Amino acid sequence: MASASSPRDTDIRLTLPARPQNVAVVRHVLGALADALNLDRVVVDDMRLAVTEACTNVVRHAYLDGEGTIDVVVRPRGDVLEVVVTDEGRGLGPSPDTAGPGLGLALIKALTQSLEIQRSEQSGSRLVMGFSRRTPSMDMT
Amino acid sequence: MSEPPTQVSIAAGPLVGPVLRRVVGMFAARADLPLDRLDDAVLVADLVAARAPSHVMDSTVDVALSSSARSLKLKVGPLRAGGGRALVVDAAVPGVGNVIEQLADGLDIQTEDGHEFLHVWLAYSGTL
Repeated sequence: MASASSPRDTDIRLTLPARPQNVAVVRHVLGALADALNLDRVVVDDMRLAVTEACTNVVRHAYLDGEGTIDVVVRPRGDVLEVVVTDEGRGLGPSPDTAGPGLGLALIKALTQSLEIQRSEQSGSRLVMGFSRRTPSMDMT
Repeated sequence: MSEPPTQVSIAAGPLVGPVLRRVVGMFAARADLPLDRLDDAVLVADLVAARAPSHVMDSTVDVALSSSARSLKLKVGPLRAGGGRALVVDAAVPGVGNVIEQLADGLDIQTEDGHEFLHVWLAYSGTL
């Protein structure tokens, strides 16, 4: 059995300059993935919103004084689709132009099945987001 | 303002085509290529996606994309020795000829750190 970090035939990695226009590239890739894997629309919408939020955090906050990159890895694993967003900037933190921590992480947490956050001021931040490929059944009772 | 290339690395498998054509299409649109050249860029992406897995070094198809005003550049690789030329030759379609050679405004095979890379340029007529 392959380890969690070894590539499989459905893994995708994107390394992009951390600029606003490139968040759309990530969204397009997720769209292509969703079409190819025939993912449910609800799952895709949640995944796109959460990943957009994570990438936007990198663009806005990670590199205050220069250029940097966003690294996005997408790993379909059985019933779970794992998306890892990494930067090499100053790590996650409160926005310099807002009073509070913002809604981004709370939103990501609400949209993901699992969320792991690693951050440091020296090595940037790493968000590991897990999404269920199954749509939650609606309880109408 | 030009920006550093975007690197896409896709495990050689069923997602290479869908993902690569989407990204290349987006960069072609960003380069403001006219619709016929955007279609050409997507066709080149489809051919690279179909043929490159046989010629890559490892188990991933890696493409670096950069766009500027009315031009798009793809750098495919690392490829195995001879893989750059083989990839282009494999893109020949019976009765049509070599599609990548016909659609690209420039093709080049370069070696970096002992590995081959295929460079493909597409542009609006007269840009290059």
